[in-house]
Amino acid sequence: MAMTPSDRTEANRLDRDIVQRCRRGDLGAFEELYKRHGSRLYTVAYRITGSAADAEDLVQDIFLQVYRRLDSFRGEAALGTWLHRLAVNASLDFVRSKQGRRQRVTDTAEDLDAIAAPANGPWRPDAALDRMDLDRAIAQLPPSYRRAFLLHDVEGLEHHEIGESLGIAEGTSKSLLFKARTRLRVILRGRSGVR
Amino acid sequence: MERDTLTDDDCGRFAALVHDRVSGTTGGASQADLDAHLASCAACRSLLADLVAMRGAAAGLPDFTPRTEVWTNLSQRLAAELAARPRPIWTGARVALAMAATLVVAVASSVWLLRGPSTAPVPQASAVPAGAPAAAVIQSPKDLVQDVDEHLRIADEHYAKAITGLEQVVKGGEGALDPALAATLAKNLGVIDQAITESREAIKTQPNNQLAQTSLFEALRQKVALLEDTVALINVMRKGDQAGAAKILGGLSKS
Repeated sequence: MAMTPSDRTEANRLDRDIVQRCRRGDLGAFEELYKRHGSRLYTVAYRITGSAADAEDLVQDIFLQVYRRLDSFRGEAALGTWLHRLAVNASLDFVRSKQGRRQRVTDTAEDLDAIAAPANGPWRPDAALDRMDLDRAIAQLPPSYRRAFLLHDVEGLEHHEIGESLGIAEGTSKSLLFKARTRLRVILRGRSGVR
Repeated sequence: MERDTLTDDDCGRFAALVHDRVSGTTGGASQADLDAHLASCAACRSLLADLVAMRGAAAGLPDFTPRTEVWTNLSQRLAAELAARPRPIWTGARVALAMAATLVVAVASSVWLLRGPSTAPVPQASAVPAGAPAAAVIQSPKDLVQDVDEHLRIADEHYAKAITGLEQVVKGGEGALDPALAATLAKNLGVIDQAITESREAIKTQPNNQLAQTSLFEALRQKVALLEDTVALINVMRKGDQAGAAKILGGLSKS
């Protein structure tokens, strides 16, 4: 359920209090921080890496980084936003270092058939889109498409932010998102066609 | 007549605008063009409806919950990092009593783990059948935490006794030390005592403060080490062993 403005204010106040206690060395407060934001950060890492094991390692690394860098959190943005950015960057760095050049070659090959693949069944746009189906369809995307879609449509980043994070031009981000959505539509239509 | 496929050149051009609209980035002029096209093109209306549904579902994708082990591992890594941190208040004497240190770190880590957010079901002591061997009795988390607190208290007492004994030895042999050196050692001991006092005060207000517990035991270890070095120094000075004294002082200055 979406948070109301007053929920957000209360959540931000709680976060600020937790940060203050963490800075004083209160590890119980750090546990609270993990409880409040751990799932969100794990989800970001899991969706970007596509691996539960990698996401588990990453979320630990991210929280250790958070503990070391809490003093640099100025409180200008909400804590959740700051943590989210750390998680996105750490996950993208991980993917870049792990997959490197091999992945980029694969992505290029996969670009070729993204638009050409025909939609092979009627999707029911009037019916609620099954989120499990969407999650599975996202997992089938080529990595570069998946990252663009996740960062824009799931995590809410703007194209210029995605460009900075991925080291690509803003236009490339838009193009990848276009192809990702098109491919997802094809996958989802195929899925609904066999129902 | 309405188009129902995206093969038309116009549809190709408008598809990008449809995506922009879904992203909320369509400009004013192109908005009107797109609306006019959508009014006559079922295929593009279908594309728009699909993408809107997809975007809505994407924004509402649920979070996943990491396994409990993630927190357990994280808390262990955090405890290890804290234990390895440079000492915050003093930079003094060398680390001694390695076995005692290991014991204290292990107990402190257990405190952290036991107070962690374990959600796994823990068998209760009452679930053990009557007459089962004592070793098979599984303690509840509360009992285990009390046990650990008790061990910490015992470790604290052990250090206190060792320190008292060493202080008596030092007091009896201070005359063997050069007055300037004795003053330096006394000053260093004062710094460590200050750290012990501050850690105890922090624990008094926050009994579960792991950092304060670690700092306290680190300070106690430092004090024992410095007193042991002082006793060793007194002994070699009494024997007139200048080389032995130099060796001990060298170790102190490096630490």
